[in-house]
Formats: sequence, C-alpha cells, structure tokens
Amino acid sequence: MSIDLQQDFFRLFGLPRRFRIDEAALELAYHDLQGRVHPDRFAHLPDSDKRLSMQWATQVNEGFRTLRKPLSRATYLLELMGVDAGLHTNTAMSPTFLMEQMEWREAVEEARAAGEADELAQLHTRLRQHSREVFDDLARQCDDEQDYAGAAETVRRLMFMEKLQHEIDDALEALES
Amino acid sequence: MALLQIAEPGLSTEPHKHRLAVGIDLGTTNSLVATVRNGIAVCLVDEDGRAMVPSIVRYHADGKVEVGRSAGVAHATDPKNTIISVKRFMGRGVKDVAYIESMPYDFVDADGMLRLRTVQGVKSPVEVSAEILKVLAARAQASLGGELTGAVITVPAYFDDAQRQATKDAAKLAGINVLRLLNEPTAAAVAYGLDNAAEGVYAVYDLGGGTFDLSILKLSRGIFEVLATNGDAALGGDDFDHRLFCWALDQSEIDPPSSEDARRLLLKAREAKELLTACEEAPIKATLGSGEKVDLVVTRDQFADMTKHLVQKTVAPMRKVLRDAGLAPEDIKGVVMVGGATRMPHIQRAVAEFFGQEPLTNLDPDKVVALGAAIQANVLAGNRKDEDDWLLLDVIPLSLGLEMMGGLTEKVVPRNSTLPIARAQEFTTYKDGQTAMAFHVVQGERELVADCRSLARFELRGIPPMAAGAARIRVTFQVDADGLLSVSAREMSSGVEASVLVKPSYGLTDDEIAGMLRDGVERASEDIDARALREQQVEADRVIEATLVALEQDGELLSDEERAAIDAAVAATRETAAGHDPRAIKRSTEALSRATNEFAARRMDKSIRSALAGHKVDEIQV
Amino acid sequence: MSVTVSTSAARHVSNFIAKRGKGLGIRLGVRTSGCSGMAYRLEFVDETHEDDVVFESNGVKVIVDQKSLAYLDGTELDFVREGLNEGFKFNNPNVKDSCGCGESFNV
Repeated sequence: MSIDLQQDFFRLFGLPRRFRIDEAALELAYHDLQGRVHPDRFAHLPDSDKRLSMQWATQVNEGFRTLRKPLSRATYLLELMGVDAGLHTNTAMSPTFLMEQMEWREAVEEARAAGEADELAQLHTRLRQHSREVFDDLARQCDDEQDYAGAAETVRRLMFMEKLQHEIDDALEALES
Repeated sequence: MALLQIAEPGLSTEPHKHRLAVGIDLGTTNSLVATVRNGIAVCLVDEDGRAMVPSIVRYHADGKVEVGRSAGVAHATDPKNTIISVKRFMGRGVKDVAYIESMPYDFVDADGMLRLRTVQGVKSPVEVSAEILKVLAARAQASLGGELTGAVITVPAYFDDAQRQATKDAAKLAGINVLRLLNEPTAAAVAYGLDNAAEGVYAVYDLGGGTFDLSILKLSRGIFEVLATNGDAALGGDDFDHRLFCWALDQSEIDPPSSEDARRLLLKAREAKELLTACEEAPIKATLGSGEKVDLVVTRDQFADMTKHLVQKTVAPMRKVLRDAGLAPEDIKGVVMVGGATRMPHIQRAVAEFFGQEPLTNLDPDKVVALGAAIQANVLAGNRKDEDDWLLLDVIPLSLGLEMMGGLTEKVVPRNSTLPIARAQEFTTYKDGQTAMAFHVVQGERELVADCRSLARFELRGIPPMAAGAARIRVTFQVDADGLLSVSAREMSSGVEASVLVKPSYGLTDDEIAGMLRDGVERASEDIDARALREQQVEADRVIEATLVALEQDGELLSDEERAAIDAAVAATRETAAGHDPRAIKRSTEALSRATNEFAARRMDKSIRSALAGHKVDEIQV
Repeated sequence: MSVTVSTSAARHVSNFIAKRGKGLGIRLGVRTSGCSGMAYRLEFVDETHEDDVVFESNGVKVIVDQKSLAYLDGTELDFVREGLNEGFKFNNPNVKDSCGCGESFNV
C-alpha cells in the first residue's frame, strides 16, 4: 500500500500527464505536500521520522523543480513517453536552425567584446521572446498532435537556446563585476 | 518554583515537560537569544535589561573565560587573548581572512580552519564561539526556569558548508541541541512577515557586523519561499569601521600603530560611525601609547565618500539575486532592512535608489533575526498546532560540485536549489583494472577548482577490477534542511556495493568535539556522566511520547502483531529510562525507533494521500 | 465562587492577547498528573465550551471548566518576576502541599 518514491511526478502532484499544466495548481500541490513532509514538521520527532521526511521532501522538491520549468518538464514528459530527448543520441539539427544559432552567437560575442551591457540585455529579451514562440510549438506537438519525435527535436532546439541564454547571463555578470 | 506561561489552546504541557526552545543570533559583533513566551517573541535580557551580548571572548591566565561587555573592556589592553568578531574565522583558513595582517592575534594555520594561540592554549574559532553560545544558553535557562529542549541558530544565508558545519559544531560543544540552522534573512522575513501579514515578493537586505546577505522571498498563504540568495560572507559593518580607521591614520600621519593602539583607534572609529547615523559630523579623538594624538572630525559626506566602494560591493549581489530569481526591481513589494549596519544613511539611500522605494525599517534591525529564530524554534519544538503553522522553504546559496580532469569543476547541485536536495552523478574508471577512485568535493560558482572552496577529498576503494569505462560509480550529494552536505559513492555495475560517507573536512569530527568537551576544566567527569544520562532520558521520553501520539492518531494502520511489537519496545524503553545506564537507554531508544520505521512510512503515505485527496478530482490524472 | 487575576497579571494578559491578535481571555484549569497528583493549565481561549464558567476580573475574562473550579475556587492568578525569570503564579488557597516546582499540587 506504500506510495512508491519513484512514482511519476505528475501523479505526485495530482496533475494530468501533459505539457500544458496549471502552474497555480502545481504550486498549490507542492506547498501542500511540503507542508506535510518537510523536515521542519519532524524536527521534534525520532531520527527514523526525520530520515523519512528528508527523503520525501527531497523527492517533492525534485518533482517541483522538474515540472515547474517548461524545458525540464518537456524532457521529463518525453522520457515518460519513451522518447529520449538527450543531445547524445541525436544531434542532427536542421541547417536553418544551426544558421540562426550562429547568428545569435555572433551578436552576443560582438556585444560582449564591445562591453555593451544594454545590447546584451536586449538580446536577452529578444531571445526570451523567441523561445516563448518555440515553447508554443512544443506544447502543440506534445499535447495536441502527440508528435513526440517532433517534440524531442524542439526540446533540443530549446536546449541550445537556453545555453545561449546562460552565456548572455554570464557575459552580463562579467561586465558588472 | 517554576513560573507558568500562557500556552496555545490545548497545548499545555505536562509538568516538567515544557519544550523550552530559543532562537540564537550568533552575530559577528553582537549575539542575542530570544524565545516565544505567552505567544509573543521576545529577546531575553540580562540583569541590566540588555538584550545584546557583544561577541567578545577573553581568555584569562587563571583559566577563567569572560564573555560579552566586560570582556570587551580589556580589548585594547589584552588584545591577543580578547577575541572579537570570531565569526569571521569560522570555517576559514588564514589565507581566507581579509586584513588578517592588521589583527592582533597569534594565528596558527591548521588544516582547514585557523586556530588562535591564547594564554589558555590554542583555541579553534569553534571553541571561541561555543563560549558565547554557553552564555546565551545559560541566560535562557535562567530566564525560562528550565533546561532547553533545543535552539534554532541563525547563520548568514551566504555561509558555505564549512562555515555552517563549524557553527553547528560550536553549538554541540556548548551542549545545545540544534533544532535547525536558519538563514538570517529568512529568520528576519519570518519575524517581519508574521508581524505584518505580508504577501508578495520581498527582498531582505542584511548587512551585519561581518557578513552581507541578500535574499528574495515569496510570501504566500503561510509559505516563506526563498527564491534566490546572494551576498558576501566577508563584508559588514566592521569593514566600514576599518576604512574610517585607515582614514584616521592617514589624516594624522601616524605609522602603523601597536595592536593595543589599533584596537583603541578602531573603537573610536566605530563610535564615530555610529554617531554619523544621527549627526552630520563626529569627532575621532585618541591618545596613543606613543604619546601621539589623533584629533579629527569626520563629516557624514566624507564618510559616505570613503566607503562608497563598500556600498557598491552590495549592489552587484542585488543585481545577481534578482537575475537568479528572474525578477526586476519593480517586482519587489518591500525591502526589509536587517543588521545594525543598515542604519547608515548612505546604505539606506543606495538601497532605496536600487529598488525604487524606501526600505522598511519598522522592526529593530538588531533584534529581528533573533526574534524570527525564536518563532521558528517554537514551531520546531512542537509547541504549536500544525494547522496554524507556516513553512520555510530555503535554498542552498552556493553550487556544490566535484573536481574533474584538468582542474575544472562539475556542478552537481546548482545554487538556489530548494532544500533538502539530493543529486547523483555517474562516473567511470579510466584505466583497466582500476580499483580505486578519488573525489574532490568543492563549493562555489567558478569554473576552476582552485577558485572554489575545497570541502572534502575522499577515495572509493574496493571497485572490482574491470575494463576501463565498465565500472559505474554513482556519487550522491545530499544537502539537508540545515544546508549541510553529505556525499556518498557506490559502484553500481558489479552488484558489489562499496560506499563511503563523507563529512566535509572543515567540520570537526565527533571525536575532536568529545575531546574538547573532556578538556573543559570546570566540568568534572561525574557531570559528564550525569549529563549523558539526562540527555538519554530526555531523548527516550521524546521518542516514547512521539510514538504514543502517533499510535493514538494512526494506530489503525498497524496489525495487532505489529502493534504488540511497538508496545513492547515502548515498555522496554520506559524500563531502561527509569534506570541509570545511559547506554542501555540509548540501545532501547534506538530499538524503539527502528520498530516504528515502517509505521512512520505508512503514516507519511497516509498524509500524502490526504494531501492529494484535497485536490479536485478532475485535476488528477485520467 | 470566584477566580481572580491580580492587576499586574491582568495587565500582562491583556497585552499578550493584544499582541497575539486574537483570544477571548485565558483558561485556568487543573488536570490530574505530575508529581503531586494535579497540574495547572494556563492557556489562551479562542472558544468556550458548554461546561465553562466565565469570570471577569480586572478587565480580563477568566474561563474555568466546572470540574476544575472545585479545585481553583478562591485562586488568584498573579504575575511575578524572580531573577531573570518571569511568569504567572497560581495563589490557590485549596492547596495542601505542592511538589516544590509549582507546577503540580495536592488538595
């Protein structure tokens, strides 16, 4: 009768297994679960309870972290559907996309070299806007068309974009300090 | 005769079973202890009504240890044996401490953490801090009329694992049961949020005597969720004093003074800094041992100008923390100011400018951390009903990782992950027949291992000989709710499990702590035995009580057979607890704890099921 | 029958209830336990029960259940300071002996 620590995160938070989720419901369920399993609730209890509480709270945190961010949620969802979106297995990307990426990268590199913080911040905003559109595609592929192979490719594209986003962050940080 | 306090409805405790819990703010310059009495958090004061204990420890030649204000009197005449701002040394080596050359102490560089040579021998910062904690615990016991169940001790949010471990060790050495290490800005947010029924996203700007923290918290429906934290574990009010001190030396054209004179002048600089909060100008006057005189006046503008770079050092973390939280300054509903140093007008101005709003200063910035810690301690000790509880979800401030080939770090746990967290990473052997593998655990944000803090090195042995790349070694990082790390490694592929558990090397081993406890001069061996017995009895009582409550609530989850086994273990523990053998009590308590393992797991499941049952049916997966 | 609070206790109780933000008054009670047989209860009150008796003393509502009242009749609740310690004390004329800790007693 015991609930499996390995059960899938959608079930853990009582959510349907989809890419589009009700974020407010996720957060509510997260807070509700942590309210029951968090180590602060067990601080005055025996060590066996404390250990158990730490395992559960760790699992609930991991689940929330995975489902909250769209990219990790998509990767996880595809994994449950038996599709590995990992970069290692399939690195073939469309030439148009790779071209686009190179252009972005050059723009970031130029702004970084010139120490243009404002330009970097603008690139950051534009990239975020662009990835929002790609996420819309991803939602359609996952939830409406059940095109998991297509979704996996979209996920890989988004991973590239996220990496670029981090590079802009790092460049901004370097300029500030 | 014990005096009574008013309890929450239905929560009166049995006689002699009050769970006295306190919050301790172990500060760089001052420390405080607070508790919840009659439903209200209050700082506990001394005979003269003072809440703050200066964090100063003086070791006398006759073996006496003096703590607080009176110890501070000697800080110019006996600087080597009068330790101030010891928090700056916690979990730190000699090379990590700023301006160490201008400090009057006799440092001994030891593995991991520096030591101080005093008239009473070589002392670790952990021992010095323990002296301060003992005084606070004694004050709490005198004020509350009983033994403490436990304490919440606050640490800067930006403290790394070594500093946290050192703080916990100090508490252990002082004989304090640590309910939780709580981040200072989070403690402040609890005190502030509960007082003001706040909802929304808040920033806590905490500039203490020696540490700077900035946390972004989301407050909603009783949840205090830290979104991101940043800071500088070596920046505080002390640095402003030091800057003013250097300015005064410069202006008076005085050569580097003796350590006695340096202490004297530093004190004058601090007084001037404090005066400038209320006045436009302040005098710095002192006569040095050499007969030279310092006679200066510093204006508020001059002071602001000479410390501009220090204020600026707090601005970069403000930007970073917002970026980590994915927020802009205008998303912040309020900025809570914590720490005495935030009284400086130019700090308040800089914060107001950055966030585009006046910071909140309606709680005493010196006391708010201790009060928040007391509120949390009261909850953790079990003195409140679950339903009106709130929950703190805090994060790890700095990424944890492993050293890879070429001296690069591989991040395993990213900063700002919500605690507790566990992360595993798999590695393999690179040589045929390799039977051992070495790991180096580090903490920090930099790419190069050399720029991060080294926490521990360990080796996994007994890997069965295999071809290179065939072994699968899983390294697991677990960070608990105190922000403390444990690392284990295991060989997976062969079915042979070799695992090691690592405690970061900056922490003291249990043996070292036991040794320090034994060395306590005033503590006779009978005391230690009596203490051990009492501690085991208290622990046994606690486990029995918790088990009985659990049986009452959820006894139906057990079969008759299982119930009988637990009842027998309770009875056995009761019997040993009535005796005088601490080891027997420990054994039976542990047996009881083991007997209830499965029961605890079922209760947890039940609780989680009822959490899910609270959701609408159409939310559940179809 | 009556149970009272001293002016000093009343002042503190009113202050605590104000800071707590809710509460009708305080509950005084006894229950069996402790080293001398009986123990005092002192709690905030958010709701009263059917068998409660409500007194008013120095502006504070004092709530006592019927059963406890037999042991508490004539009791005055006082607020005292002893060194660093401060808190409430039951001055109960019914007590024959107490265990020395002040938390439990016999009648």
